[in-house]
Amino acid sequence: MTPDVGTVAGGGEFLGYRRADGQVGVRNHLLVLSTGGLTGQTARRIAATLAGAVVVALPHSAGLIGRDEKVHRAAIVSLATHPNVGAALLVGDNPVIMAQAAAAIERSGRPFVGITLDECGHDALTLTDRGIRAGARLAREISAQRRTPAPAADLGLGLECGRSDPSSGLVANPLLGLMADWIVDAGGWAVIGETLEWLGAEDLLACRARSGDAAEAIRQAVLKREQVAVAAGVDLTGSNPSPTNIASGLSSIEEKSLGNIAKSGHRPIEGLLEYGEKPATPGLWTMDASAYAPKSLTGFVLGGAQVLLFTTGVGNSYVSALSPTIKLSANPKTVAALHQQLDFDASPAFLGHRSLEHTGEDLRRCILAVASGEATWGEILKEGDEVLSRFGPAL
Amino acid sequence: MTGIDAIRLSPEDNVATVLRAVAAGETVRVRCGEAVTELAAAQDIPLCHKISLAPIPARAAVTKYGQKIGESLVPIQAGQHVHIHNMRSARARITA
Repeated sequence: MTPDVGTVAGGGEFLGYRRADGQVGVRNHLLVLSTGGLTGQTARRIAATLAGAVVVALPHSAGLIGRDEKVHRAAIVSLATHPNVGAALLVGDNPVIMAQAAAAIERSGRPFVGITLDECGHDALTLTDRGIRAGARLAREISAQRRTPAPAADLGLGLECGRSDPSSGLVANPLLGLMADWIVDAGGWAVIGETLEWLGAEDLLACRARSGDAAEAIRQAVLKREQVAVAAGVDLTGSNPSPTNIASGLSSIEEKSLGNIAKSGHRPIEGLLEYGEKPATPGLWTMDASAYAPKSLTGFVLGGAQVLLFTTGVGNSYVSALSPTIKLSANPKTVAALHQQLDFDASPAFLGHRSLEHTGEDLRRCILAVASGEATWGEILKEGDEVLSRFGPAL
Repeated sequence: MTGIDAIRLSPEDNVATVLRAVAAGETVRVRCGEAVTELAAAQDIPLCHKISLAPIPARAAVTKYGQKIGESLVPIQAGQHVHIHNMRSARARITA
């Protein structure tokens, strides 16, 4: 079956996994999730044994307070019920956290098993044995599921840039802006994050906000990051833009930001999401989040994005574990050098050999192909990980 | 962008981004929308770095994307390389 890739006007479709809760996945992962740092190695051991398993090991648990505690508890459920997860095996050391997560995951109808060290006599090897057996049953169960056609409206795209150079702002990020416009027009949603990299461009984003409150939230989020940098005595030049950004030609955070927000395209901004928050409606969203790619991508994944688009200037191998991450660059030198990293070549648009609009059509086909099952380099090479942001002190 | 060496993103910009490494003395063809202008590179400019399109006095706005991307630290001549040695961010200043 060949999916209809559509036109700019028509959204197109992909072949996905329709979940009991109505979401549509582009992968059918067996997620092996360690809810805290005590069981990380056990989770990795279990996942290494099971074909098709993806491991996410959250490093923190006990002692988290306030916002960190809330984000951690919500992340367990958001990861286990992510549209790309067919079934989840949870291992952990805290029976109360496990019971709370289990109740929420059960409501989604997603197959899962949760096992704690308490049930295994505090023996990691017993947990490993029980985890492998339970995970194997889940893997077999979800292997019976089949892809069916779904409209592009069922997709959420996370838009990221990393190790940027000026080619990112000139071509690769404006290209993502076209993808944001396409998915929003098709009835889906898209999100940009990296709040610090709106600094100097925040008025351009705020002007596009759907409401006065959303505009003010965007401005305040940027101001807060700027105040944190000033209070910490951090000179942004050298930290953001980073030494790599500077060597490639970016001179200030404002220049980097103006290139960054080109990813957001041209549609109205519905609002500002908190870190890891799910958008309430389709459309274009902003997420107040770290500019560090591992934390930023996990924020999009927790928000439910099934596909991530990641532009780079000089190269960046990091990808999400749960959501296929399409890596692209417009820099001809980078494209020539990084064969097994870049999934899409945007350099013809940089060199003037192909228009941005035509390159956008090529990228849209690539997105729908990846959403339908085509593997990214990051997936093939198992580069994927998830890194949860931390916000404050812990006990 | 074939046949051009640099791109000026907005008519208000006083810098352009070079699309190939440019050597001092070379003529640089700068595109802005449909318009193409020429100027001589006063210095070597690496791929993707910025070239000044007009004299910029000290402590003046450096403009790209039609927006201020920082301030000049010293007077910058047309054709010179514009980067952290002669401009800086105007935001998140630790000292005024």
